[in-house]
Amino acid sequence: MMHELLNGVSSSEAEEFLELGTRMIVPRGTSLFQLGDPADRLFLIEDGRIRLTLPMQVRGREEEVLVEERTPGQAVGWSALIPPYGFTLTATAAPQDAQVIALPREALLKYFATNPATGYKIALNLAVVIGHRLQLFQTMWLREMERTVEVRSA
Amino acid sequence: MRRYNLLIVGLLMVAPGAYLIFTHPQNLPLWFIWLAGPFLWYVGIAVAIGSIAGILLLPRTTVTPTCASSSDNVATLPAVPSRQVPIEVLLLQIENHVRLEQAAAESFVTFPTNAQLHSKTTSPLVN
Repeated sequence: MMHELLNGVSSSEAEEFLELGTRMIVPRGTSLFQLGDPADRLFLIEDGRIRLTLPMQVRGREEEVLVEERTPGQAVGWSALIPPYGFTLTATAAPQDAQVIALPREALLKYFATNPATGYKIALNLAVVIGHRLQLFQTMWLREMERTVEVRSA
Repeated sequence: MRRYNLLIVGLLMVAPGAYLIFTHPQNLPLWFIWLAGPFLWYVGIAVAIGSIAGILLLPRTTVTPTCASSSDNVATLPAVPSRQVPIEVLLLQIENHVRLEQAAAESFVTFPTNAQLHSKTTSPLVN
């Protein structure tokens, strides 16, 4: 399994890094974390899919609406590395069980301090993941904004 | 544009009506002028007034067709007026819309062009 956070990292370094984590099964429909929870672990998806959702008011009801779906090799929960360390989305395994590697922040920070070269590569990969998401969302935001303006000025 | 069609029809009736009433064309029989002229004039004015009232008072029902692109892993859902849509279907439409928009955004980020940014969507949520 090639993880997006481990691009450019040697296999021995990757192995050492992954040993910091704990493999866990997230049963289908179960939350890995919820919006507002303290973010103390980063997750790498090994198997299955993780739905990232946000609560949205739909006809007066609060409904979890899909924002993104993450697949094997991708990471979720990078709020664990970014202050104020709180999850800003809810992550749920669906439509089947998911398998993830949970990496505690404390262990990660300790590893980065003792292995700065690997930590640097992982930090760059993390920047790519965050940057990509930012680009996606700014594009989506612009398209939605255009539609709103179009409808209102029609 | 459809909102103004009736107004245009009304004005198109008023114009020949006015011509018949006020110019009394000599080449037309008088009975025709007195029958067609007032008919076109009054009915045209009524239609125009009715259409203006419609434009001013009725809510807009048209939603401008908009953006996007295609994507895999997206279910095609029927476009149904929002009041008739059960909330479960609406939620599926929202999810479908998010996936389509994400696919469109991915395409733009991969090949950033103006055309990709403004590509049309097939999402029933906005069409």
